[in-house]
Amino acid sequence: MSAKRTLPAEPARSVAAPARRAWRYPPLNALIGGGLLLVLIGMALLGLVWTPYEPLRLDLLARFQAPSAAHWLGTDEFGRDALSRMMMGARTSLWISLLSVSFAVVAGTLIGMLAGYLRGWTDRVLMMLNDALLAFPGILMALGIMAIIGASQYGIVLALGIAYTPSVVRVVRGSVLSLRELEFVEASRVIGNSEFYTMLRHIAPNCLAPLCVLATSMFGWALLSESALSFLGLGVPPPAATWGSMLAASRPYIASAAWLGIFPGLFISLALLAINLFGDALRDRLDPRMRK
Amino acid sequence: MFRFILHRLGMAVPTLLLISVMVFALIRFIPGDPALLMLGDMADAQSLAQMRSSLGLDHSVVTQYLIWIKSVLSGDLGFSISTRQAVLPLLLERFSVSATIVLVAVALATLIAVPVGLFAAWKQNSAMDLGLVAGATLLLSIPSFWLGLLLLYAFGIKLGWLPVVGYVMFADDPLKAITYLVLPIVTLTLVEFGAIARMARASTIEVLRLDYIAHARAKGLSEGAVLWRHALRNAFAPTWTLVGLILGNLLGGIAVLETVFTLPGVGRLMVDSIFARDYPVLQGCLLLITCIYVLVNLCVDLLYPLFDPRVKL
Amino acid sequence: MHHYVKKALYFGVPTLSLCLAALTLQAGEPSLIKVGFNGDIRSTEPGVNRDENSDAFIMHIVEGLVAYREDASVGPMLAKDVTISDDGLTYTFTLREGVKFQNGKPLTAEDVKWTWQHYLDPKTQWRCLPEFDGRGVSKILDISVPEPLKVVFRIDKPNGVLLATMSRPDCGGSGIVHPDSVAADGTWIAPIGTGPFTLGQWKQGQYVELNRFKDYTPRAEAKPDGFTGNKQAFVDRVRFVVIPDAASAKAALLSGGVDVLPDVTAMDEAELKNVPGMQVRTSPVMTLGGLLFQTRDPLLGDVRIRRAVALSLDYSQMVATLSNGLSTVNNSIIPTTSAYYDATAHTGYPYDLDEARRLLKAAGYHGQPIKLIVNKRYPQMFDMGVLSQAMLQAVGVNIVLETLEWGAQLERYQSGNFQMMAFSYSPRFDAALSYESVTGNKDKEPRKVWDNPKALVLLREAQSESVAPKRQALFDQLHTLMLADVPMVMIYNGTSIGVVKAGIEGYRSWPISKPRLWGVSLAATSK
Repeated sequence: MSAKRTLPAEPARSVAAPARRAWRYPPLNALIGGGLLLVLIGMALLGLVWTPYEPLRLDLLARFQAPSAAHWLGTDEFGRDALSRMMMGARTSLWISLLSVSFAVVAGTLIGMLAGYLRGWTDRVLMMLNDALLAFPGILMALGIMAIIGASQYGIVLALGIAYTPSVVRVVRGSVLSLRELEFVEASRVIGNSEFYTMLRHIAPNCLAPLCVLATSMFGWALLSESALSFLGLGVPPPAATWGSMLAASRPYIASAAWLGIFPGLFISLALLAINLFGDALRDRLDPRMRK
Repeated sequence: MFRFILHRLGMAVPTLLLISVMVFALIRFIPGDPALLMLGDMADAQSLAQMRSSLGLDHSVVTQYLIWIKSVLSGDLGFSISTRQAVLPLLLERFSVSATIVLVAVALATLIAVPVGLFAAWKQNSAMDLGLVAGATLLLSIPSFWLGLLLLYAFGIKLGWLPVVGYVMFADDPLKAITYLVLPIVTLTLVEFGAIARMARASTIEVLRLDYIAHARAKGLSEGAVLWRHALRNAFAPTWTLVGLILGNLLGGIAVLETVFTLPGVGRLMVDSIFARDYPVLQGCLLLITCIYVLVNLCVDLLYPLFDPRVKL
Repeated sequence: MHHYVKKALYFGVPTLSLCLAALTLQAGEPSLIKVGFNGDIRSTEPGVNRDENSDAFIMHIVEGLVAYREDASVGPMLAKDVTISDDGLTYTFTLREGVKFQNGKPLTAEDVKWTWQHYLDPKTQWRCLPEFDGRGVSKILDISVPEPLKVVFRIDKPNGVLLATMSRPDCGGSGIVHPDSVAADGTWIAPIGTGPFTLGQWKQGQYVELNRFKDYTPRAEAKPDGFTGNKQAFVDRVRFVVIPDAASAKAALLSGGVDVLPDVTAMDEAELKNVPGMQVRTSPVMTLGGLLFQTRDPLLGDVRIRRAVALSLDYSQMVATLSNGLSTVNNSIIPTTSAYYDATAHTGYPYDLDEARRLLKAAGYHGQPIKLIVNKRYPQMFDMGVLSQAMLQAVGVNIVLETLEWGAQLERYQSGNFQMMAFSYSPRFDAALSYESVTGNKDKEPRKVWDNPKALVLLREAQSESVAPKRQALFDQLHTLMLADVPMVMIYNGTSIGVVKAGIEGYRSWPISKPRLWGVSLAATSK
């Protein structure tokens, strides 16, 4: 795994986003990214109700068939239709990524707000833990957690969720720290609102922008990490398919059945591209500096 | 400056301790232990107990931790459970492989990406710029392991130009070592290029908007001089931070890429030691990785003022 | 290819390099064969801190008194002959003359006695100690040396598997080593054996090498025979290259990084046999692959459900897929290659979906999920799980696959904490040892899948019996009993598939599946 999967590639808060033209021109990146994303989500949803073949049905007589009119993306080592599995995989991959990001966002926001608002010793202890977790290679932690709880779908969600929480904590705490000194927060306190109310009413909504940007990039990392876990030997349990597990499973056959590896990788790349473009657009839209 | 370094290193100590506790707990929560793995399906209760006691696993976890910490403090990382190698030399050897790839790849990526980003920013909104940004975003979106597999397939298996598997230590045979290193380095360079180029472009645009650039331009400086003397210097600071972050993370984790190219790197060592429940090796690895993470971050901060004169330590 | 040697020649101690240079001039460039290993060896100590690869490696350096032949029967190795007294309690080994250790010293009966005492010392932590100290079938009471080339072992109870156990590769073949292999304080230094190769360079995590033992004294037979026979080495060096990942290992073979892959998957075999310049060597092996049940599970405690599972699997199709047509179905614990595999052992479960449905209905099964543990470390276990799940769906058995990391699965196996699991037992080279690995009292040994007092009695008899026809009758009874009990479904014995590059002659796969590089030579063209 590489850095940009575990840290924001272009820290939206420290550096202004590139495209100033976002206001003046239709945001091309949003169009392409959003469109691509819709296609992939559509594919996942379609996979829920219809696939060309039953994605789990084995056909041991039709193994390793190259892409053809009958099997557009060929068949795999058990003779299952690769396109059907890809559609099924779209759902699982996106769902796992979505759940892990949600987990990280919820857990991270809670901890981050707590640390940022209470400050003092709570903050210090929490941040020390958080820094330790950040320095811990994320993929390794996920691997360890999965080895403990077993490679179920929700095991992956939990493992990735925990691995990503520290980044969220960081961002949220940063926002809270800078927000709590602002006048309107001060005002809320002065007029006698409780700390809790102030936090919920005034601080939480204002963390939203950086959080959205982070969540988008985390979605991409989750997709990648899930594949990486499959590569390292602990992915989703069979017979479920994700793009990552399909890519990892294809590896022994790369010389003889290259299509089995090419298409899942292509779809992961497309999904990441969509997310990156969409994320760019989102950042352009939400970056505080753009509102000046 | 000296105090700053001392302070930062001091801050790292609790982090390191915490991580050591976390690792210790994490790996021992994983079901199955090294004795079981060594004996496999032929293990009976008695030989298991004997093996456990010979590995020192019959002490309580807390005692085991204290024993380990004590020996670490005296500079001894212990011996691998599965191969009985001394952990420290093993770590350093494996780390040198990962570090070679990561350092060369990130240096290459930076050297190419920064001028490209600068150029794109200078030609902002031109077709050239659009093309470069699109290219960088595309590269950013390709998973490294997939790219690695494709390159391996093309250059290793189909064309047969480069060896597909294995590694030769640089010290043993530099020329041969390079043939093994080319593909992983190219893969990593391509993938990291995207992130760095985009960052370089974004921060240059940011700088170009500032008043002093307009001022410099108004003074009649040539575009080249403006870009070189004013923009690059200032725009490099955030890029440098990113490079630092990338380095800090990569040095601890190119396990997947190492798996694809079967390189004996430290990432692979960590993954294998989880699967083999090789406690001392994993603990040693994470200690090393965390130290490096802390040191890289420190270096980034120390070098920051070189690029951004506004920052004083 | 030979940079390493060249460097040693150019930069070594001048006088030494002169000598070596003279040697190499005579012999031409030293020959080297590179063999792929899926993991590094653990140590060079036979039967201690070992795994499959360590065993395969050390068997090139050390030799025992007896060893497995090509057909997994036991034959003499360092011994010229073995005589067993009528009461089955005294074993007399007469050593071959002129055998030399790799340090030049001659092999004597005293060395054998010393080595065995070393193994029997609990401090050595020899893996096979429990087999000989009374915990197993019998205990070695005493080892004596009546003549310089004669060793006598006395045991307390007759033991039909004593020689087979001594020969086990995981015991390091009970390899005889020179006392100088061990330091004064009992710690291991390096193996000084009598085998055809000596320990070469070990670059940990990368490769480990063997060098040809030039003064090796081969047996009189014309050819190698398993771990015995004529074991003369024909190549100067063998390098076991560590490539943990199967896909990479295959790629290495295709690109010339290794010359021999001793163990590839059936799927790879199908692909590699069509590649010009590759030779495939297959042999059935004695691994036992199948599905284990927990007979104490509330659901699976019902033999009707277990039997329904056994009847619903289309074995021929499953085995054809798992082994790519290389193995045959075997529902018996006795491996197909065993001498005890007879017509009775050949009878298995019929494929009868109607009967299965009837049994399930009678047992009141209505689709409760059954968890089947698989792992990704061993693809054949994983695939077995996937295939079983799909086949059992046809009769309405709801299998939920649970992928565990291998170590975690072993822990579950050891504690008996599972409903079903796809598993593969490592090879046991005697039918009694095979039955022993599955039969036992679950209260004492939770890992044993078959807890049946009657079976245990039969097994004890088979273990001390050494007359073949009597053993055969016992094994037949055990098999029939097991088919009725269904504590597990044995599915097939694996196939060892070695792939060798053209130009390498004499490499064979065999039931014990460990690679052997003696008797292997490079044809002149392959240089």
